[in-house]
Amino acid sequence: MGIHQKITGLFLLVSTLIYSQERPSYFQPSLLRASATIAPTRFYTQQTTVALINGFVEYALENRISVRGEANIMAPNGKLLYTNSPEKFPRNFISIYAGFGYHLGKRNWKFDIHAEPGIAISEMAQQPFLIVPVSYQWGVSPSYMLKVGTSFYFSKYCHFFAEINYSNGWIRKTPLTSVSIAQYGISAGLGFHLITQKHDE
Amino acid sequence: MKLIFLFLMSFLALQVNAQEQRMFNPAGMLSLGGRTTVSLFNDHKNEMTGTGIGGQFRLRFSDAVNTDWFFDYITSDILNYAHRTDYHIGWSVLFYPINHLAYFHQPKDFKPKFRPYILAGHCFDYSKIEAKVSPLDGPMSAERWSSAVQAGLGTHLELSPRFDISLTGQYMIHLGNHIETDYDFTTGALSFNEHKGASLAGHVLVTLSLNYKIAKLWGFTRR
Repeated sequence: MGIHQKITGLFLLVSTLIYSQERPSYFQPSLLRASATIAPTRFYTQQTTVALINGFVEYALENRISVRGEANIMAPNGKLLYTNSPEKFPRNFISIYAGFGYHLGKRNWKFDIHAEPGIAISEMAQQPFLIVPVSYQWGVSPSYMLKVGTSFYFSKYCHFFAEINYSNGWIRKTPLTSVSIAQYGISAGLGFHLITQKHDE
Repeated sequence: MKLIFLFLMSFLALQVNAQEQRMFNPAGMLSLGGRTTVSLFNDHKNEMTGTGIGGQFRLRFSDAVNTDWFFDYITSDILNYAHRTDYHIGWSVLFYPINHLAYFHQPKDFKPKFRPYILAGHCFDYSKIEAKVSPLDGPMSAERWSSAVQAGLGTHLELSPRFDISLTGQYMIHLGNHIETDYDFTTGALSFNEHKGASLAGHVLVTLSLNYKIAKLWGFTRR
């Protein structure tokens, strides 16, 4: 390899590095992002792990503040992931949350904290003892979710995210003792985003 | 002539000063937020800690006075024989006692800060108590409407000029009709008794809310 080729190669490498340094910060006010994924979730008081389908939409209000809404739906036969056959467990489970996020970190790699009040909608058996046929009833319970995670915005439209969440609440509409829905779960995947307003540089 | 000129100049100086003051005037600021509440030390016999969610908007009237307009949905257990649901809709006045300190005026380089307040207010309350195990002839429940007053202390943690987290501890006293549950632990018989007239049953509410300022309905903000 001649000296000219080496110089050209070095120039190309340096220009690539400069290009990567000049990549714009995608996370900025007006960024709208969304994704859906499967979130393995552990209901630790029932020692049961289920698959929840998680979807979220988030909008960046400021450089560090965002507003976010998300929903979890228990996948059909989702509690087959790992179950201890709890005596009382929802036959169907949906949770909906809305809250705010705080984002730390510079440029395109962010650490996120979210706090989201919400509700859990669940369908529970209504007999205290095993009676056939079993009757079921839907109920709505207050709940909240706390979430920490990280996101890497690697292109104008896509990012990777990984999150750990904790949520809690009680299903009261049950015979005898109420059922805790304390749970922790993980979710990760590819997210999509769009900057919805142009900003003056 | 000189006297008139001096008078006009002093008037102009006052105008400029007034504009400087108006730049920091938060009156008319409207916030929207979500909240989660824990209900403690409930006055109802055998009632356990309750948890709830809700929403609120906050409308500020002056530098030192703000108002919360809220809705709460709280559920709790009465041991293992009944459960209770409370809906609160009401308002509170927030007063910032040390708002005048220079610490709170940071127009350029914002730094997160605490802003403590005293609050007092009023709400309407709908409560429903339901038996955990329904008798054979159908669900068993009792309900009531009442009014309540509340007062307490709290603080905002302002994380940006427009976003804050607020923690409030308050005592709420229900005024009006109330429901009592009688449960016979030997036979498992449950009955609800409604009592007319005022009673001072209450509970402690600890509320954590997240709020974002979405609009300024009146007043001036100089950019």
